[in-house]
Amino acid sequence: MTAQNNKDVTHIAFHQSINFTFDGVKYRGFKGDTIASALIRNNVRVVGRSFKYHRPRGIYTCGIEEPNALVQILSEHNEPNTRATIKQIYEGLEVESQNCWPSLENDLGSINSLLSPLFSAGFYNKTFMRPRGFWKKVYEPLIRKAAGLGKPPKPFRTTSTQLHHHVDVVIVGGGLSGLLAAKSLAKTELKILIIEQDGFLGGILKNSNKISTIENKDNKLWIKELEKKLEGLENIKILKNTLATTYNYINHLIAIEDRTTGTLPLDGNVDQILHKIRADHIILANGHIERLVSFRNNDLPGIMLAGSFEKFIQRYGVIPETNPVIFSNNSSCLSLIKKLIDLNCKPQAYVDSRSGDKIEPELLKIIHKKNIPLFTNAHIEGCDGKKQVQEISVRDAEGIITKLKSKMLCVSGGFNPDVHLFTQSKGVLSWDDEYLTFKPDKSFQNTIVLGSNAGIFQYSKIVNDINTKLSFLDHEPLLEIDLTLNDTDKYSIEKLWETKHEKESRWSKSFIDLQNDVTTKDLRQGIQEGFDRIEHLKRFTTNSMGTDQGKISSINALGIVSEILDKKVSEVGTTIYRPPYAPLSFASIAGRGTYDFYDPERKTSIHEWHKKNGAIFEDVGQWKRPWYFKSHPEENLYEAVQREAVHVRKYAGVLDGSTLGKIEIKGSDALEFMNLMYTNNFSKMKPMSARYALMLGEDGMVMDDGIISKINDKHFIATTTTGGAAKVLSHMEEFAQTEWPHLNVFLNSITEQFCTFNISGPNTRLIMEKVFKDIKFDNENFPFMTFGNFTYLKSTVRILRASFTGELGYEIYVRPSIALKLWEDLFRFGKDEGLIAYGTETMHLLRAEKGYIIVGQDTDGSVTPHDMDLEWMIGKNKKDFIGKRSLTRTDTIRSDRKQLVGIKPIDPNDIIEEGQHIILTSSIKPPVKMLGHVTSSYVSPNLGHSFGMAVIKDGKKLIGSKAYVSSSSKGAFEIEIIKPIFIDEENKRLVS
Amino acid sequence: MSSHKNWEKMWRSPEPKASYDAIIIGGGGHGLGTAYYLAKEHGLTNIAVIEKGWLGGGNTGRNTTIIRSNYLWDESANLYEHSLKLWEGLTHDLNYNVMFSQRGVMNLAHTEHDIKEIKRRVSANTLNGIDSKWISKEEIQKLVPIMNTDNLRYPVLGASFQPRAGTARHDTVAWGYAMRADEMGVDIIQNCEAYKILTENGKVIGLETSKGIIKSKKIGVVASGHTSVLAESAGIRLPLQSKPLQALVSEPIKPVIDTVVMSNAVHAYVSQSDKGELVIGAGTDGYNSFTQRGGFDVVEDTIRAMVELYPVFGKMKMLRQWGGIVDISPDASPIISKCDIQGLYFNCGWGTGGFKATPGSANVFAHTVAKDEPHSINAAFSLDRFVSGKLVDEHGAAAVAH
Amino acid sequence: MLIIECPYCGPREQCEFTNGGEAHVSRPSNPEEVTDKEWSEYVFFRSNPKGIYFERWVHSHGCRKWFNAVRDTSTDKILRSYEIKNDKPSPADLEDSNLTTPSGEPDVGSGNFTVKKL
Repeated sequence: MTAQNNKDVTHIAFHQSINFTFDGVKYRGFKGDTIASALIRNNVRVVGRSFKYHRPRGIYTCGIEEPNALVQILSEHNEPNTRATIKQIYEGLEVESQNCWPSLENDLGSINSLLSPLFSAGFYNKTFMRPRGFWKKVYEPLIRKAAGLGKPPKPFRTTSTQLHHHVDVVIVGGGLSGLLAAKSLAKTELKILIIEQDGFLGGILKNSNKISTIENKDNKLWIKELEKKLEGLENIKILKNTLATTYNYINHLIAIEDRTTGTLPLDGNVDQILHKIRADHIILANGHIERLVSFRNNDLPGIMLAGSFEKFIQRYGVIPETNPVIFSNNSSCLSLIKKLIDLNCKPQAYVDSRSGDKIEPELLKIIHKKNIPLFTNAHIEGCDGKKQVQEISVRDAEGIITKLKSKMLCVSGGFNPDVHLFTQSKGVLSWDDEYLTFKPDKSFQNTIVLGSNAGIFQYSKIVNDINTKLSFLDHEPLLEIDLTLNDTDKYSIEKLWETKHEKESRWSKSFIDLQNDVTTKDLRQGIQEGFDRIEHLKRFTTNSMGTDQGKISSINALGIVSEILDKKVSEVGTTIYRPPYAPLSFASIAGRGTYDFYDPERKTSIHEWHKKNGAIFEDVGQWKRPWYFKSHPEENLYEAVQREAVHVRKYAGVLDGSTLGKIEIKGSDALEFMNLMYTNNFSKMKPMSARYALMLGEDGMVMDDGIISKINDKHFIATTTTGGAAKVLSHMEEFAQTEWPHLNVFLNSITEQFCTFNISGPNTRLIMEKVFKDIKFDNENFPFMTFGNFTYLKSTVRILRASFTGELGYEIYVRPSIALKLWEDLFRFGKDEGLIAYGTETMHLLRAEKGYIIVGQDTDGSVTPHDMDLEWMIGKNKKDFIGKRSLTRTDTIRSDRKQLVGIKPIDPNDIIEEGQHIILTSSIKPPVKMLGHVTSSYVSPNLGHSFGMAVIKDGKKLIGSKAYVSSSSKGAFEIEIIKPIFIDEENKRLVS
Repeated sequence: MSSHKNWEKMWRSPEPKASYDAIIIGGGGHGLGTAYYLAKEHGLTNIAVIEKGWLGGGNTGRNTTIIRSNYLWDESANLYEHSLKLWEGLTHDLNYNVMFSQRGVMNLAHTEHDIKEIKRRVSANTLNGIDSKWISKEEIQKLVPIMNTDNLRYPVLGASFQPRAGTARHDTVAWGYAMRADEMGVDIIQNCEAYKILTENGKVIGLETSKGIIKSKKIGVVASGHTSVLAESAGIRLPLQSKPLQALVSEPIKPVIDTVVMSNAVHAYVSQSDKGELVIGAGTDGYNSFTQRGGFDVVEDTIRAMVELYPVFGKMKMLRQWGGIVDISPDASPIISKCDIQGLYFNCGWGTGGFKATPGSANVFAHTVAKDEPHSINAAFSLDRFVSGKLVDEHGAAAVAH
Repeated sequence: MLIIECPYCGPREQCEFTNGGEAHVSRPSNPEEVTDKEWSEYVFFRSNPKGIYFERWVHSHGCRKWFNAVRDTSTDKILRSYEIKNDKPSPADLEDSNLTTPSGEPDVGSGNFTVKKL
């Protein structure tokens, strides 16, 4: 008794053999086979081991609901947890079983099965606690080692992509109901997308033997004709091999298309497409799922859901076993029995939990006619066998056990509408007392549910249902459709969740969740311990938490729980179904948005020059900024910065400051607006002059700084920090639009419109005079903090005399198109004056020597202008500006707040580190009281020692005193607290 | 070890009494823990925990279970370290294994600015006696060999690492506290929704619930996302905003990552559960919502960062995805405080990182409720700070982190 | 992802927008005269209702305009969006909130229930 081919199917190419391996053994299947159907064809029954007890497991279903047959695909970067019932084979496919060691046949982990009485639900929480130290050293590593199903995959760089759709109607499921819906909507103008998880349309028409003709045509012909018609229409698009996984808010659907079904995915090709779909209406016609029945050893290989067994025959052309025993509590096995008889196979027995008078006459008739042994009012008590089913125990109405020798048991526990997507949409379910299942009730979005997905299990009602539900779309009403059925028109079912064990043993098990090894006993124990809420029970037992999310068993669990609690199933409720419907590959979610497309790299117009001239870059926000320039390949950061810093103070240097944010503020109320946005007072400022300015949040804390250039009262240009540009602009916009819409003011980012070069050093003026021959740069004509517009290469450049190094300096604003030319001119003329390019690190060092702060480094959102010794920047007599009021709260007016100071080591050989803390003792034995921290620190070649800036409690008062600073390498060392300025306190260089 | 045949119910399911000495609203870890410490350390056993749904069903059961104490400011460090110390003894304290796993937590630096922030935090932690240290890229590679440190948009430059940090099994924390609180006589009332806090002359007098009015002179509100809704019922405004926070798990695989890795810069937090699932936290959605649902774009952002940082995750699959409601305060620090109404106490504002604080928060909140004054550890986390301006601004350390 | 109706550009995906918190909160015109507590109300305290919420959005990756919207935070349903200059719509003009209890879940559309309540 083995598997047999059924060559009367269209989806298997029996002339096309395919070779693949499973656990290193070569097998042969046919084009169109899944791993599961091919293994069944080869009589392979055991395909994996279960999670907890390492029990042998076989193929239980024929689709996405599979709990057991999860395999590792070695030929695809070791992809783990692949469903053997979905994945199609191709030449060279290499498959490995999971969760077994050393081998599938002899798995050492199966000792857990012997110990199973100890491993019941919640077991971990009650044990492994003693002796005390053992948890961390012994138990925990053991538990963690046992984790997981598949092995980790190998590195894989995604090549999947994403597509967006905007349509009027999506039909999920191209089965009978979905096709009929599409047919009736075909003539409308509506844009329709049909999503089908299989490689073909038809669903129940192809996967089962339930319907043999439709509209007096053979099923296959009917589908073919309809599909041709639909494909010819411009408003309809069909996506096959596409699974809808996620139903988000506002009819947003995520669906994943497999582009490599039955072929080896090639690296670099698009292997899958994530479809993101917005639809006005979503029609859910995604059918139903068969469920199991729990009985003793209901996990043994050789047990399969009856509908899946039928699907293997009907779709994959393989009869898993010619003489199976069939067990059911409902009317659905008629079509399977008929099919087996048509194929000259005879079921070994038919066991029905219903009494004879409840069983459909047609079913009884065929059973009697073919002399199939019949047990009514009977249950499967259990199965026995070492690695697969060998003996099946049937308990009849009188309680007598009959043992049948058989290798296969088909089970049908009834059907559930596949409500996963519906509940994701936040629709609610209600319990159907007739069909014993939850079905969609009230929808929250524009959702229409059709066919068995709506809980309609009567063929003669489908058409009317579609006509009623789609009439509002002006569809073409369907006429009644003739079906030739191998099934009863109306499905009927009797309640049966679990059968009783004949003899209770601590080792005997009825499984409710096959993947997680949850037994019905675990459910009982959980409830006994008080976990009587379904969500608790799920978490306590891990029921339905596997990769199949309990698709074939979660309703059974609810049924069992309702009986234990003596409640209605509807009172027990369901756990919340979480998206996605089936596991969704990370690669598809990431799509193209990684590596080069992860986040844009912003580069200045001079970037290539920097690269050619030895720049090492740092990431500042999205920008690439030169961090330092190597003068020779061996030079390191420290050496380069020491060299650059000396050089700038001695000769001249230029920094590419193009990344600074630049905002243009225009309008008749620009002055008033600026006075509100910044602490400074711009009223008395002369046109064409500039000012260092501070921006606060409403909480009074320093938010940003920059230089404000005033062209006139109606026109300003503000610079911002590199990282703060976007934030400052939106902050300004917010107030301009929402708080003071009466102010006439317009804001525009001009960051990209200008490159900025900050040139400074004693030789700067000489260089500028050579580059801009017509401009007078002397102090009288071009004083500090003024600017002018000039012509350079027929283009306007703005030159501002300002400095962030404390040396004589200018900022040049130039259009990007001529920026490189100007930059090169600076070097052409500056070569003799010793001009060098320097990077951000040297800029940081030089400004710190001068005591200039960097917002975001010396501030952290918790300091006020007073804390930074910048109260001079607060405009006197200004009634209001953003943040002003917050400066007079009880905590902000304290005089002992953390304040900015300078620090230098007593021993000049000590090096102060950024981020270390100022403390009062040389001991760093915790806890140590901290006064504050070092915000900036550098080794200054100009001072000859290390120095730093720090923000410390009551800092202003502590100037002149000594303290300690912690370090990462040795305890703490002594420092002196000084004013935060280290060079040119009188600003002589600045205004030279 | 014996067969687990005759376990008793973990807790009773009592109907509410007419009155209690104190009522805690919210049956998550913080609320149940508060009841436990009220009973154990303050002798208050005539108390009730009111839960709208089921125990641990809110953020306790939805979070990514990261536990650490490497916070910047002294106030936060004290609070989270107090909590971490309680975590270290919790399994034995409750005689219930909460599976606290001290596998360490790593916070990655991707830019020079990150390095500065992290080093500052490490220094503060060190001086506060918290076991945080700076580790180099090479040390990171040793701890997490699957990490791609170089070939990505924002390369990994180093990290802070706290070895005592780790994860715990979230549900069991709620269950453990519930079980022991129940043993001491605390009534745990599930499926009981709090409607309105009743006050008279500036004092709490009781609570209107879906199971009727329950009298009490003390009410502690620990209802995370819903706290401000309840506060409003007593006329108290809290500076909280409730936002969606999403998380997800992958399919289970054999152990591949042996510690917890967090990256604020690219919003990617991951650890591997004892079942083998990768537990991944995403960022918050940028708007208020009580729907426990966020946008798919937020999940995409997180996954993009993950597959770049861990190239082996390219062939992994997302198994489940869900959302919770987090209550975010202006300074990203919690509020554990009295208010203008006598007998009304709040423990809220935990934002994205409340789970780690569960025992510490519960412990000091129990003190606050019992003594009508804050414990020294939570004094800084009062509601007044938003008036005085004395914030505990943890945006750097908390960011969107967990 | 939500779809938000920008009054200037029409319906767009939420990722084009940035949320600006509660709407109709005005900055005190006389900051110097308000108490610390009143000032803190403006700086830090915002309503956080479960149900009808008036909020601000800015079409940051679009027209850069700020506008207001009314949303039911228990279901995320947006009931109205309108220009900043417009008055706050009166609750009577809006659909009723779905809330069944003061702190409860709406019958349908929220995160917490999959099964019809009996």
